[in-house]
Amino acid sequence: MKKLLVLTLVIAALAVAGAAWAGPVQGVTDTEIKIGQWGPQTGPAALWGAVARGTGVYFDLLNAEGGINGRKIKYFLRDDGYNPNRTKAIAKELWEQEKIWGFACGVGTSPGMAVMPYIIKNNIPWVGMATGSPHWTQPLKKTIFGVYPLYPDEAQILTSYAIDTLGKKKIAFFYQNDDYGKGGLDGCLRELKKRGMKLAADVPVEVGETDLASHVMKLKKAGADAVIMWVYPKHAAIMLGTAAKLGYRPQWMACSTLSDVALMFKITKGLWKGMIFGNFAELPDSTSKLMLKYHRAQQKYAPKERWGVFFYAGFGFVEPMVEGIKRAGKDLSVDNFVKAMETLKDFQGIMGPITYSAERRQGIKQVFLAKCEPDIMMVKGKKITYGKGKRLSDWLKLD
Amino acid sequence: MDMKRDYYEDIRLLDSGPQVFWLIALIAALALFPFLAGSYHIYTVNLMAIHVIVALGLNLLVGYTGQISLGHAGFFAIGAYATLALMQNLGLPFLIALPLGGFISAGFGFLLGLPALRLEGPYLAIATLGFGLTITQILGRLDFLGGHMGLQSPALNIFGWTVDSDAGRYAVIMPICLFLAWGLRNLTKTRVGRAFVAIRDSDIAAECIGVNLTYYKTLAFAVSAFYTGIGGGLMAFVLGFISPHTFNIMVSIMFLAMVVVGGLGSVLGSVMGAVLITWLQLELARIGELPYLGPLLTELSKQVFTVSGLPNVQYVVFGLIMVLIIIFEPLGLYGFWIRTKIYWRTWPF
Amino acid sequence: MLGQLITSGIAIGATYALMALAMVIIYKTSEVLNFAQGDMAMLSAFVAYMLLSDYGLGFTAAFTGALAFAFALGAFLEFAFLRRAKEPNLLGLIIITLGLEMMLYGIASWRWGADQKDFPFPVSDFEVHDLGGGVVISDLNLVTLGVACALMILLFLFFRYTKVGVAMKATQQNQQAARLMGIRVGRIMMLTWGMSALVGACAAFLIASTDTLDPNLMWTPQLKGFSAAVLGGMTSLVGAVLGGFILGVVENLFGGYVSVEFKSVVAFAVIVLILCVKPSGLFAKHYVRKV
Repeated sequence: MKKLLVLTLVIAALAVAGAAWAGPVQGVTDTEIKIGQWGPQTGPAALWGAVARGTGVYFDLLNAEGGINGRKIKYFLRDDGYNPNRTKAIAKELWEQEKIWGFACGVGTSPGMAVMPYIIKNNIPWVGMATGSPHWTQPLKKTIFGVYPLYPDEAQILTSYAIDTLGKKKIAFFYQNDDYGKGGLDGCLRELKKRGMKLAADVPVEVGETDLASHVMKLKKAGADAVIMWVYPKHAAIMLGTAAKLGYRPQWMACSTLSDVALMFKITKGLWKGMIFGNFAELPDSTSKLMLKYHRAQQKYAPKERWGVFFYAGFGFVEPMVEGIKRAGKDLSVDNFVKAMETLKDFQGIMGPITYSAERRQGIKQVFLAKCEPDIMMVKGKKITYGKGKRLSDWLKLD
Repeated sequence: MDMKRDYYEDIRLLDSGPQVFWLIALIAALALFPFLAGSYHIYTVNLMAIHVIVALGLNLLVGYTGQISLGHAGFFAIGAYATLALMQNLGLPFLIALPLGGFISAGFGFLLGLPALRLEGPYLAIATLGFGLTITQILGRLDFLGGHMGLQSPALNIFGWTVDSDAGRYAVIMPICLFLAWGLRNLTKTRVGRAFVAIRDSDIAAECIGVNLTYYKTLAFAVSAFYTGIGGGLMAFVLGFISPHTFNIMVSIMFLAMVVVGGLGSVLGSVMGAVLITWLQLELARIGELPYLGPLLTELSKQVFTVSGLPNVQYVVFGLIMVLIIIFEPLGLYGFWIRTKIYWRTWPF
Repeated sequence: MLGQLITSGIAIGATYALMALAMVIIYKTSEVLNFAQGDMAMLSAFVAYMLLSDYGLGFTAAFTGALAFAFALGAFLEFAFLRRAKEPNLLGLIIITLGLEMMLYGIASWRWGADQKDFPFPVSDFEVHDLGGGVVISDLNLVTLGVACALMILLFLFFRYTKVGVAMKATQQNQQAARLMGIRVGRIMMLTWGMSALVGACAAFLIASTDTLDPNLMWTPQLKGFSAAVLGGMTSLVGAVLGGFILGVVENLFGGYVSVEFKSVVAFAVIVLILCVKPSGLFAKHYVRKV
């Protein structure tokens, strides 16, 4: 009788343990992990949509290599058109109907903010949102892991580089008048305050603006000798053009969202030359092993895509997620995944070193700076000048 | 059978027995819906209900009173921000903050109605457009409302009941939506409603028969803004986060599209227009996944267009649907509905 | 600084003026607000870009081709969509143009993607002329100004002295009567749309050469052009151009001296104030409609 009781207890204990161990985790089977992403494929922010497509190619590459721990990734990409209504619908649809396991990346602060409460409430893993806004990781949320270096940090690094290395005295800040630009402005002001300096001018630009003459006049009047830009590529291009026309030539500096140097050089008709900009990922012509491998994957799976920084950023933003899944092993319960993520220390893929811990959810805190220098390549027997980044520094960190 | 014999027939809520039946069936279906559908579908219907409220308000202005507005996203924003500010900064409960937010929005509606007394057509369109842009710009500057960073909605409490699910929000939104729809229908059948229609048909003639233009035009703007403000206040909770960017000019234009595609000057039309356009906005993104059509479009993209641009097909289809509806039926979806009804009336003879 | 702000204001105002002219042409004959105006122009700019970079044509051939495309596109849209509308009301027609706008936007983004492109243009924006006192104006600005004024004068002469132009005005005043007088209203409308698209395309080429070419190129210029047209009176060609200049200068002065943040908004405030005094804009006669 006693034996029977013990046996029953053992079986019960095993069953409970088994349930805890192999309890069905949504979106994961022995052969498959379902991961979703929203990203603007249409509308005014479609430029950043390349991130989501890059992630897709990265998953294709991983699947061709046999997946992660024997599990293939099933990837769901949804277009939200940068409209928070739709982002929220997508998050619900993917989580409730497609039964995905977690979210990767996702472009945009407003769309992300609309979704965040839902993700927290349902305890869904979300890694690598493609904006440097501090909302995601401050305060800490258990299942949300940031990758992109924070805008304020990056602005501080750029500002101190301008002052220390370039010896500039009057720094001005040209920024998009929203969350994104304000984030950069905060960092710049913080750094200047630390040094007891003042900003020469802060000039905001509205998203729909197309005429920047008065903006240039403001900068020129302030006599700034270095201008840091925190804007969309479109405004950066109009700014440089208008400034060149009005004879204003400071040292221009730009944030990492403008680090697609070949594109920027092209759309500014060569004015991007000499630009110093932050980078969160390797330069496109990097010869590191991973970059070459990824480039080959792009040529194989998406030959028509341009090998620009936002395309391969889609690889980079999910690298830590993939590493976390790898380290978590067979058991992909959220708790176990979070624990595995917290073991990442100076993990490096094609981006800066990524560290997570129980108190830290912001992965990268480093950027490196590069300068745009034109180079010549031969296309069909014609000489074409294109923009190329020259690395100025190693990964820089705030002290 | 459309003959009205006395005034009371014209103003009563329901015309016929079948209508009573269908109304009860509709209410029953709406009451059962959250128990049958998943959270995703409930969220979709919540969005639709909010857009119905806005479309009703805008239709009162555009369809009944004949004034154009390209700035209703501004009222939407005012309602949303005012409701949140009243709750967060003054600690008012939701059920008081929401109507107050609506009244604040109505106040702005009254102000916008003043220049509308002198303007019409494209001139009014530009004035209202400027209003919508100005509001979002000013909201971006108000740091106590989150500025450009946006504002997170607080927990929604009603008499101690914390609403934190989509079904819960549905239970709040749907009765409000039905109540406002009923209210608008009643309003349009009163003296006020007839004054609005008279202004639409000819404002000078209306004035001649004693309609006070100043009063009724600003009233139309205020009521319309009130509805839109209520919609905005509810939207803040359905979305959970609002920023000035959420209320851009495309939002205003989509509201107008809902009203015109649904059918000008009709309550049922507003409902149909809002539901259709919301549904298209959410679901057309997946057009590439349809059987047959999806692979065809992908192949077309490879040959002529670009594969990465394929999701833009949704804009083409969306635009085409809007164009076709208006081309074939100037009264929009409501016109189709009327024609279907008339067609079947004598069936099978 | 004042001089430069005014000069730059006039330069940017010229692009608004072109868009305003395009809107006025259509409004003059059909009283339709054309929301597809900007994207018709955007698509034409993309066609020019395609002819230049994919087919390697010269500037003259490419721009001529793109202008021909623009004319055909405008005429086609009128013929295929607006004319098909059954018992149209004005709001319905506006919504049709809105639907067309979305279709054109979708087609352009589908074909060319969202990446910004550089739009080559034979005239440089960096070759500047000093007007004295350090005030500069670029070659491209001068060309834009020239095109805007030339088109205004040409269109003015066209509407005043040619038979077709007069027929267009007649069509606006009363379609029924125009038809009874033997004017083929359908054709007139098609021609109007074609001409308007042509003017819009000119604006798009000039704007794209200082901006970057992408599907969102013309949205803001369209709104500005619309505002300029309203300021000028919606039916007046001279008004449209002057409205564009006023808008550009007011914006730049406000941006330069008060706040760049509220620059665009102030333009609207000014327009509303002016409209409150002159409800039909600066240069249009105010007709009181008969009951």
